[in-house]
Amino acid sequence: MDFSETAERISRKFSQKGTEIDPKKIEGKLRRLVNEFGVQPSEAERSVNNELAKEFNLPSMGSGGSGKSSGGSELKKIADVTPGDWVTIEGKVVSLSTPASPAIAQSGIIADESGGIRFVAWAKSNAPAMTKGSYYRIESAVVDDFKGVASLKIHSGTSVKECVNDGALIPSTVPIINLHPGVGSIRAKVIQEWESSHERMLQSGLLGDETGTIKFVIWREPGKEKLAVDSVYTIFYAQVDEFNGRLSLNLNTAEIMPEDSDILVSGGSLSVRGAIVHIAPGSGIIKRCPVEGCNRALSRQNYCPVHEIQPKFIYDLRIKGWLDDGMKTHNILLQRDVVESLTGITLDAAKEIAENNPLGMDEVFLRMRDAILGRYITCHGREIDSRLLVNACERLTFDSGEHAALLNRSGSAS
Amino acid sequence: MSTNSRDLGRREGVFEREPARRVFATELRECRYQFREGEDEKSPTFVLLPTGERCNRIFIVGTLTEKQRQGDQNIFYRGRVVDPTGTFFIMAGSYQPEAMQQLAKVDTPAFVAVIGKPNLYQTPDGAFLVSVRVESITVVDKETRDLWILDTSARTLDRIDSMATGTSPDIAKAKEQYPAIDVAVFRKTVFDALAQIKI
Repeated sequence: MDFSETAERISRKFSQKGTEIDPKKIEGKLRRLVNEFGVQPSEAERSVNNELAKEFNLPSMGSGGSGKSSGGSELKKIADVTPGDWVTIEGKVVSLSTPASPAIAQSGIIADESGGIRFVAWAKSNAPAMTKGSYYRIESAVVDDFKGVASLKIHSGTSVKECVNDGALIPSTVPIINLHPGVGSIRAKVIQEWESSHERMLQSGLLGDETGTIKFVIWREPGKEKLAVDSVYTIFYAQVDEFNGRLSLNLNTAEIMPEDSDILVSGGSLSVRGAIVHIAPGSGIIKRCPVEGCNRALSRQNYCPVHEIQPKFIYDLRIKGWLDDGMKTHNILLQRDVVESLTGITLDAAKEIAENNPLGMDEVFLRMRDAILGRYITCHGREIDSRLLVNACERLTFDSGEHAALLNRSGSAS
Repeated sequence: MSTNSRDLGRREGVFEREPARRVFATELRECRYQFREGEDEKSPTFVLLPTGERCNRIFIVGTLTEKQRQGDQNIFYRGRVVDPTGTFFIMAGSYQPEAMQQLAKVDTPAFVAVIGKPNLYQTPDGAFLVSVRVESITVVDKETRDLWILDTSARTLDRIDSMATGTSPDIAKAKEQYPAIDVAVFRKTVFDALAQIKI
């Protein structure tokens, strides 16, 4: 069997990264694995690759089987790269962000017509500084998986050259439901603005389009502006992050353009009619952590999982429960104003009950339970992670039209 | 790049609560078949309704007409909840202390909403009995009772209609387990229940 071709390929790969290895030596290693140890040739190539990478202290060469192991010298579309690849791409630096660590010289997003990818240029790579808006050819960079997101790493073996490209790059937006961790472009409407939970946060809220909704955040940085609620924006190259199976958008990297048109946001919005079949513990009057941006529910001993004992807690009302229409049970969460209108117990009244009653906060739970458990209501809200966050709800009232219709229906076939 | 790993992630390990079915006493009384889904100790048991739907939990609203405390060591309460078509037998024991205390507090007669789990028993003389183990019981008003009759009528009619056209395994099983029952009789049950609501 001839190993010289494979050996050449491996050697080329390493020389691209500035390490010269004698192909004869590689060939010897391959031969030994295949002939003496009965290893499959593709597996042998992979293991020699890894062995040498380790020896010369280079990042792992990935799975590079013979099909993929062209050493990354062929130009790839950004949308086609996957973690583990050695790639050569050409694209435009569409965003630069402040590096998170001194080990990083530059970080940002580079894009071609197929899509965008986050990149990191290591300080040790000595790569030339790239400027936003310019096109570059990046050869032999490695794609890895950082926190579940593909990321292009520019290391000492990568060559970065500015190149000329006069075509305008216009990314195509995708429906929110099709976003995946990485980089995404959408056209969406700001449907909610949330109270900022951190002083570094400029704005957070919910963006929606015809297919769904997604949380967004903008961190405080010079030149960043808030989005207007109910306005539609085209957003290019936002960072899509995933946390606990939920996606969110970081707009600091994005180019944001306001639009005149409107979008009918339908995603997640839901009305459910049914009976309340369970009120979960933790409903009623609760204490929340007063530390700015925390707002977690405290235990009975006023203990916050993060900020420990908080004697100066803030009271709040909420109800967690299950609303059942006989076919499906919906997990519902009612916020303070909805709880007040449904139970008729205001926060002030609940405080009064909790502080002047031997059962304390339990008494509020029991009174609310007795007021609403087993009752028919209609809840309007938004379903997020299979929980209905209720914006408004009302009690069902008897509808004599429905009664008549059912009488007809039951009598029709008898 | 992979798409929508997001949906997979969400589905995994998501707990689905068993819905509370709506059924009139007359239909529940006819149940003769109970089964368990899965081998696990905690897998739910279901009572199969003659109209071809399994239920692990039911929601009923009616009048609590009687309640009785029983047992010395293991105290439990029995009660009778009456709807326009018949009677539900409910019970709450010390394994459901919350429910038992709720039930203990209610003065008869009263409109009550009960969420509970149906169980099928056979008495020594061979008669079948469906009893509902209470998860929670609250006193409600007449309007809630009337809403429940509308709701239960609609659901029962839906099930009767599906028996004619539907093909679900539970429908097939119901036809097999209850060969003597013509579900059309429950149409009459529904009509009678609706007719009792005074406008």
